[in-house]
Amino acid sequence: MIVIAHGLVARADLPIPQWLFVWAAAMVLVVSFVALAVLWPEPRLQREEWRPLPGGLGRVLASRPVEIACGAIGAFLLVLVVYAGLHGTQSSTANIAPTFIYVVFWLALVPASVLFGDVFKAFNPWRAIGRAVGWAASKVAGGNLPAPLAYPDRLGHWPAVAGIFCFAVIELVASGSDKPQNLAVATLVYSAVTFVAMALCGVEPWIARGEAYSVYFNLFSRLSVFETRDGVVGVRQPLSGLPGLKPIAGTVPLLAVMIGAVTFDGAAEEPRWTSAALDMSNAFQDIGLTPQHALELAFLIGLIGAIVLVWGFYRLGVLGATSVGGGFTAGRLARAFVHSLVPIALAYVAAHYFTLLLFQGQAVAFLASDPLGDGSNLFGTAHNQIDYTLIGSQGTWYWQVGFVVAGHVTALTLAHDRALAMYDEARLAVRSQYWMLAVMVGFTCLALYLLSQANA
Amino acid sequence: MYFAHAGHWLTAIAYFVPVIAFMVWLAVTQIRERRGRSRG
Repeated sequence: MIVIAHGLVARADLPIPQWLFVWAAAMVLVVSFVALAVLWPEPRLQREEWRPLPGGLGRVLASRPVEIACGAIGAFLLVLVVYAGLHGTQSSTANIAPTFIYVVFWLALVPASVLFGDVFKAFNPWRAIGRAVGWAASKVAGGNLPAPLAYPDRLGHWPAVAGIFCFAVIELVASGSDKPQNLAVATLVYSAVTFVAMALCGVEPWIARGEAYSVYFNLFSRLSVFETRDGVVGVRQPLSGLPGLKPIAGTVPLLAVMIGAVTFDGAAEEPRWTSAALDMSNAFQDIGLTPQHALELAFLIGLIGAIVLVWGFYRLGVLGATSVGGGFTAGRLARAFVHSLVPIALAYVAAHYFTLLLFQGQAVAFLASDPLGDGSNLFGTAHNQIDYTLIGSQGTWYWQVGFVVAGHVTALTLAHDRALAMYDEARLAVRSQYWMLAVMVGFTCLALYLLSQANA
Repeated sequence: MYFAHAGHWLTAIAYFVPVIAFMVWLAVTQIRERRGRSRG
């Protein structure tokens, strides 16, 4: 699965060297920065303007029957993935579990969240099961259930950080990460932890701050124009969802893990990393580790290193921003601008994985008909094939550059608007953003460099 | 050996020229501002 993670593309035959694309992308960011400084003199995104969908559609979409139906679908898919993983074929390409987890769940839900809002909240199997069990328990207890524990403020998003980090470890570090049985066991373990947490803290408080995937997809859904408020789906001003993000403990590390994990996945194709990983693995074997564990430890170090690199670079930009004055601490600025990292995280996911979604996503058609890989043909699509001609290497590179540039320009816009809202003088606000611009240019260069290595 | 691989290193560095150039420009700007403040 990891081999095809960057798309089945050969070297891109481009009219100019790939590094020139990076220079052009950097120029686009600089020009965008100047344009924002001149044409965007006042904050425009800090006000939350929202109106419901017309004709009662918003109320229907967020109604209890629709919510229950979506939750039931999510719970069914969870059970299907676990069952297929435990009882189906252990071939990663013939069993629905790996493709569903790594492609449908982990990848497809990202653009779905950006386009349609927090759809995962409706389909979240853990939330659905937790609410169903809570409802049943309250009926049995006659409404006399003990109150849940208060969610500790200091815990913040740290459980979500741990959850996303563990997913990255399973996906990028652990051997056997595409084995259906391993994925099913991991899903069961995560489900158990989530159910215990929901029982202790309450379903909605845990979903809002602690459940890894709820928090993860909610971040991306803030880029959508669709938002549900008080049981009604409505529309808001583009990009206005992210300024409303209230950073809490662990929010900055969460974005660092999100971007760092994709960075490491891209770096895995880089010859210098593969050479360094082999050297580290040999060193670990010399101290007694098995070859498998030695390589896993080397990759774990690499993953942590990538996350620390991303966090460090953002921290550098924040420290630079404190130097222009304004009286803000580095911590305050780090939290104030963390929402601008979400489009960067989206750009990284889109650029690195869109070919995987495009190609392996087609496998859902035949895997749905034969989820266990036992020769079934439930919907008559079991013999469908993946069409690898949908996009070539050149088109892939252009889309990747487009995603990266669009994501970083969006991040610049959000950061610029926030700076205008925070600083008393527009001049100070713009100067503070020189450093954020450096961070954006840095992330752009890094993303395109890693993608070029994958295409090499 | 190292000269033989210099081309690969130079190509890799080429990707990061924009951010290196920008950071250098930022650093020079900061130093000039501090000198201006200390004189003023």
